[in-house]
Amino acid sequence: MLELRSVSKYHSGIPVVNHVSFSARPGEVTGYLGPNGSGKTTTMKIITGLIDMTLGQVLFQGKPIQDDLIGYKRRMGYVPEEPYLYHHLSGLEYLTMVSQLRSLPQREADERIDGLLRMLALYDDRHASISGYSKGMRQKILIAAAIMHNPELVLLDEPFSGLDVGSALVLRSLIQELAARGKVVVFSSHELDTVERVCSHIVILHRGKVVADDSIENLRSLMAAPTLEDIFSQLVVEQDTGAMSRQIADLIHA
Amino acid sequence: MRKLRDSLPLEFRILYRQFLLRVIDLEALSVHADIPRFLGQFASVLVFISLIGALGLLFSVDRLAANDYLAFAWRGEQNLISATMLLVGMVAIVGWDSTFPDRRDVMVLSPLPIAPSTMLFAKIAASSSLLGLAVVTLNFASGIAWPLFIGGHHQSSWGVFQGLGAYWLTMIGVGVFLYGSVLTIQGLTSLIFPRRMFLVLSAALQVAGFCAFLAVYFLQPTITSPAAIGAAENHWVTWSPSFWFFALFNQLDGSLPAELWWIAQRAWIALGISVSGAIVSLLLCYVGTMRKTLEEPDLVPGARGLHWTPRLGNPLQTAVVFFSFRSIVRSRQHRLAFAFYAALILSVALPLLRIELASQAPVPVTSDFMADTFIIVSLAVLGLRGIFSLPISLTANWVLQTTHLSPTGRYVAATRSTLLLLAVAPSWTIAALLSIRIRPLHAVAVHLIVLALVGWLFAEIGLINFYKVPFTCSWLPGKVHILVLFGCALVLLVVFGLTCSEVELPALGSPTRTVSMVLLLASGCFGLWLFNNRQARSAQLYFEEPAPEVITSLGIGPLPQQKHSTVLPE
Repeated sequence: MLELRSVSKYHSGIPVVNHVSFSARPGEVTGYLGPNGSGKTTTMKIITGLIDMTLGQVLFQGKPIQDDLIGYKRRMGYVPEEPYLYHHLSGLEYLTMVSQLRSLPQREADERIDGLLRMLALYDDRHASISGYSKGMRQKILIAAAIMHNPELVLLDEPFSGLDVGSALVLRSLIQELAARGKVVVFSSHELDTVERVCSHIVILHRGKVVADDSIENLRSLMAAPTLEDIFSQLVVEQDTGAMSRQIADLIHA
Repeated sequence: MRKLRDSLPLEFRILYRQFLLRVIDLEALSVHADIPRFLGQFASVLVFISLIGALGLLFSVDRLAANDYLAFAWRGEQNLISATMLLVGMVAIVGWDSTFPDRRDVMVLSPLPIAPSTMLFAKIAASSSLLGLAVVTLNFASGIAWPLFIGGHHQSSWGVFQGLGAYWLTMIGVGVFLYGSVLTIQGLTSLIFPRRMFLVLSAALQVAGFCAFLAVYFLQPTITSPAAIGAAENHWVTWSPSFWFFALFNQLDGSLPAELWWIAQRAWIALGISVSGAIVSLLLCYVGTMRKTLEEPDLVPGARGLHWTPRLGNPLQTAVVFFSFRSIVRSRQHRLAFAFYAALILSVALPLLRIELASQAPVPVTSDFMADTFIIVSLAVLGLRGIFSLPISLTANWVLQTTHLSPTGRYVAATRSTLLLLAVAPSWTIAALLSIRIRPLHAVAVHLIVLALVGWLFAEIGLINFYKVPFTCSWLPGKVHILVLFGCALVLLVVFGLTCSEVELPALGSPTRTVSMVLLLASGCFGLWLFNNRQARSAQLYFEEPAPEVITSLGIGPLPQQKHSTVLPE
């Protein structure tokens, strides 16, 4: 189980993530939602160990991740929000490099990379430079790199970004399959419809604080809202969207 | 000047400034995109070189005998033209990709209402500005001193003015010829080949150009009399562009013998071909290149061919070595930096090769040979170590951070392997090839062992406090005054090479001293290896340069005892 206990992150004294606590259990997909700038990606980076928290603790299987960060990283796979990759490498070279950095046995790594490239429809372009890849292809490379070592914890930050319909459907099923096989899956996204279909547990963040942490069913009944979009709107959308759009249109017409 | 500037269209001025910023990748030098500062540094170095040359001329003129004038003048003119050609060639190569729009230009500028011709002229103006600055500043003092010198030997009172005109017209001609040639080659290759192929070919041509300019500069003999032109060993000189422009200079100056006018004619023809080739290829290619850039992806590695990746030690070592190799080969910025060091190594190696090729008999071991090979190996290692500091894609470093599963010592070992494989091994091989005609063989063998150890020693020195993966740290070399550091390092390397050769050459005569020397070096290497490994055990691998101190002590109270303070919000 992944557990965050009162995690806070301050930038120049300003709280970006403010006493965030929640748990993600094996076998379930935890959706991590929030508007832009709410602190989702910062929390994800804290969970991956990429940035340090100012206060609080992140525990995996009951132990603080900082106690054995290397052991924790071995068991974790991460898809970042932006497809930042080394563009001068080919897709195959990138995945091979990641497998080598993870010290996967060569034969096993080759088989998995080969299989993932074929299943993600990247095999024909495996020798092409990543700089020539579309956004969706880059996203697939990130997904392949995140799961090829069979991690116990999968962190997905906007994993559907740029994917075509077919690939998105595959990924949606894959997320559920990974959870069904006992993995802890934390999934951050703006696509509420997908989150509603995939996640069993929802954490909503607003201005760095957790404003909801429950199952979708409980939230629906608690807030008397039929969809996740309604729940989300009630909790975090502050402005009148209609008025805002009129103001923008007026501004460019002036 | 201001009036002229204001008369230019606003879009042109904005684009010109932007393109000038990218003629040379200023990020690589980390001068914070400060164009005036960079150009000022660049110009002042060249002016300094020019002043030294002019002062040398003044001192030499006093001691010059009347019958030595022609040889002296010819040698000087050829040196000045060759140096200008080398500089212009290097600048054109460094700004290789700057005349044609890259993907960023096309993506940003295409949707805007800017005429392609404005883009074209702004690009050419930006590249030409840098080339013009290079030509003017390199000849700043010699461009006055030399016409005064040759004008004094003219019969007519207009000799100085004629010399002045001849000098500057020739130097401008040299610049135009080389820049035009580079544009023609680029234009033709981009027109003929698909963009994918063009990118691969362009990278190869860029590095080949670097080497070609240096090879010609260092290997070309100097002709000191009309009679020497007819000599068999100098026959190929008449095919060298720098010699054509030397003849052109003398033709314009009025001192070229009529029987040599045909050489000057070659300069005129070359100039015509180069200028017209550049204009035609630019006009034909500009729109076509923009379309290709937009439509075709920048695919660098070939889709076909050999994709063999051998294992080099453990998987981490393999990953780091191949990541480094691919970064150098495929990143323009890193390739250029590497080519710069390769060119410096060639500039040391080629004169040696020239001596060996000129000699009929085996060449004896000399201190010059030893010093040069020491410089080659040490320069290769320290050069590559310097290039390691240029980051390739900081945003992509997260993958190395999340896969940081091995202790720092293993990363240091992987970086060591990279230095040994990519710097020590190739430079040692160059030294070994240069030794083929050197005798006695046992002395060469000992020297090669010493060289290998020196390479290892420098690799260990380069690894001191280097706890990062090559090309991944945000530290930029410009922050420590790279030009000053580089200049000092170069001087120290030359002193090191000369000192080592002075120590090694006498030691080769005595087996005891030879063994002692090798053992001493080996123990030095081993000691540093142990030191680096021990230090790495407690070190943290880092990807960011250390952040500035958050708390600044005012010094009005007792200092805090703790080493690391954590800032907590109120």
